[in-house]
Amino acid sequence: MFLEIKDLSVKIENKNILKGLNLNINKGEVHAIMGPNGCGKSTLANVLAGKEDYEILNGKINFKDNDLFDLNIEERAQEGMFLAFQYPVEIPGVNITPFLHSAINSKRKRMNEDEIDNLSFAKLLKSKASDLGINIDMLKRSVNTGFSGGEKKRYEILQMSILNPDLAILDETDSGLDIDALKIVTDGVNKLKTKDNSFLIITHYQKLLDYIKPDYVHVMVNGSIVKSGGSEIAVEIEKDGFQKFQ
Amino acid sequence: MNIQDNYLKNKKNIFFSENKDIETHREKLINIFENDRFDKKNNESIKNINLKNFIDFKYKYLIPEETSVINKNQENSYTIVSVNGQCSSFKDDKIEITKILDEDYNDFSKNDTIEHNDHFVNLNSLFLNSGFKITVKKNNNIKIKISNIITDDDLTIFQKNNYICEEGSSLNLIEEYENKNNSTSNLLNVIKLEKNSQLNHFLIQDNSPNHNLIITSHSTCKKDSNYTQKVYNFSEGYVRNFHYSELIETNSEADLQGIFFLKDNNICNNKTFVKHLAEDCKSNQVYKGILNDRAKATYFSNTHVDQVAQKTEGYQLSKGILLSENASYFSKPELKIYADDVKCSHGSTIGPIDENAIFYLRSRGMSKIAATKILISSFINEELSSIDNQQMSEIIQKKLVRYLSKVK
Repeated sequence: MFLEIKDLSVKIENKNILKGLNLNINKGEVHAIMGPNGCGKSTLANVLAGKEDYEILNGKINFKDNDLFDLNIEERAQEGMFLAFQYPVEIPGVNITPFLHSAINSKRKRMNEDEIDNLSFAKLLKSKASDLGINIDMLKRSVNTGFSGGEKKRYEILQMSILNPDLAILDETDSGLDIDALKIVTDGVNKLKTKDNSFLIITHYQKLLDYIKPDYVHVMVNGSIVKSGGSEIAVEIEKDGFQKFQ
Repeated sequence: MNIQDNYLKNKKNIFFSENKDIETHREKLINIFENDRFDKKNNESIKNINLKNFIDFKYKYLIPEETSVINKNQENSYTIVSVNGQCSSFKDDKIEITKILDEDYNDFSKNDTIEHNDHFVNLNSLFLNSGFKITVKKNNNIKIKISNIITDDDLTIFQKNNYICEEGSSLNLIEEYENKNNSTSNLLNVIKLEKNSQLNHFLIQDNSPNHNLIITSHSTCKKDSNYTQKVYNFSEGYVRNFHYSELIETNSEADLQGIFFLKDNNICNNKTFVKHLAEDCKSNQVYKGILNDRAKATYFSNTHVDQVAQKTEGYQLSKGILLSENASYFSKPELKIYADDVKCSHGSTIGPIDENAIFYLRSRGMSKIAATKILISSFINEELSSIDNQQMSEIIQKKLVRYLSKVK
């Protein structure tokens, strides 16, 4: 199993958010989690990425034969986990290019691979940015600073394509995107899909799943997964909402 | 020893002590120390410190055996090594440097506009034992680098420097304070900018833990002149950077910037008092600090806009990153506006490093320490990248790397 979440319960500030959640993802699969506001979707994404604000009450997570809780935030990233943030943080003064260069090299170092030199990295970045319709001038700017909502999401996907993760978690990447931006972003995701990597897509709406075809769709309500199946569930939700699952 | 006994005992070593007018003035200052109860709450000049340590000092001053050196490196560039606050005289067609002479007492002795509320300026006036005067002549554009050397332990330097930029002149001034001995420097820089002149003043402070550095500057800007001060403080000893600025004629400008990097028990007190006394003048202040361990800093700022100073622009900003729960930064920017057509603002944000930004960077594979360091660097990136002097920029980058290497 690539990612195995067993009976996960999590709280924050005395509020139980995840309540006995189970989820298994195999290599090469695309899973979508849909659920109403406040059901714990983003909490799950943050817990997987290692955010330290949460208290793990119970459960286990295995990722690529590692106990995920033994790995800190950066070790999870270096092992191949990537979270595309719902609200990417603006970091003025940290230039995109050296930041991404440093990020890719920290991953390569952990994998005992040679570091990528400046020239090769510049070429890689330029080509990936061009694929995503990102202007080269944007790469001279500070991380997410002054970006529009669409630019921030595109930049998240650019980072994902550079870091080439084994498991990418997309936390409401579709929110705030117009239809053209949504297409660019989802094209970027589809280009990255291989038999060796997996995706966990968190969304409210079926629209995103028109562009990224999931193998499995899960309905999450009140901190646990209440129904799993194929794409037909997304259609059902689009038609009837989440009410019937609550 | 009380201040009066200390003064009387060392009088012969202090400038102008034979002058009756000065003597009378100094007696008044002594009375301030005798009568003041040193109300820490209402006097910014003594926040975070024990003034007694600075009043009950053992006066010691040595006239340097080694005279200071003035070199003219290139056409418009000079380096000065000032020893124990002294500097030799020098003159060419662009600048004139003179020692303090008895007949200069009017220029050097009284600091009426800033005395009384500032105990350290009063101490400087009382115990003045060194200093010099630099005049940049009309329409010249020059660079001066001053290294301030103190030769012995336990010296008490009370120094006053006068800088005069004549009409149409431009001075790029770099001052380095890197003293490793146990001594105290109390320096007052009095700066006069004539019409259409400019002074870019950089101060790099990197003293050892037992060196106290008290710098007060007082600039006066005439029509179309500009005073820019950038202070970079990496000192481990006590540092006080106070600046009093008066914009006395139209279209003059004061840009003040202070960046400090503190750790252990370091203390840095900053204060500015900018008076807008004419129309169309600008002042801009940015003070940023990074504080680790048990370090403490203050920033008190007062921008006063006189009723005649219409179309004033006055901005104050202070920001601080606290890397430890025991570090503290107290900031109080104030505006007093008596004109009705002005653009002024003030702001202050102090807090720990942004945890969300740390999480974001770590989620891309950066270690926590690397993420912290990159965020500290980014916090001051705008100020560092605005340094247009390559040599200065390299010096500061090197010191920043040293500071970051201690951040755990």
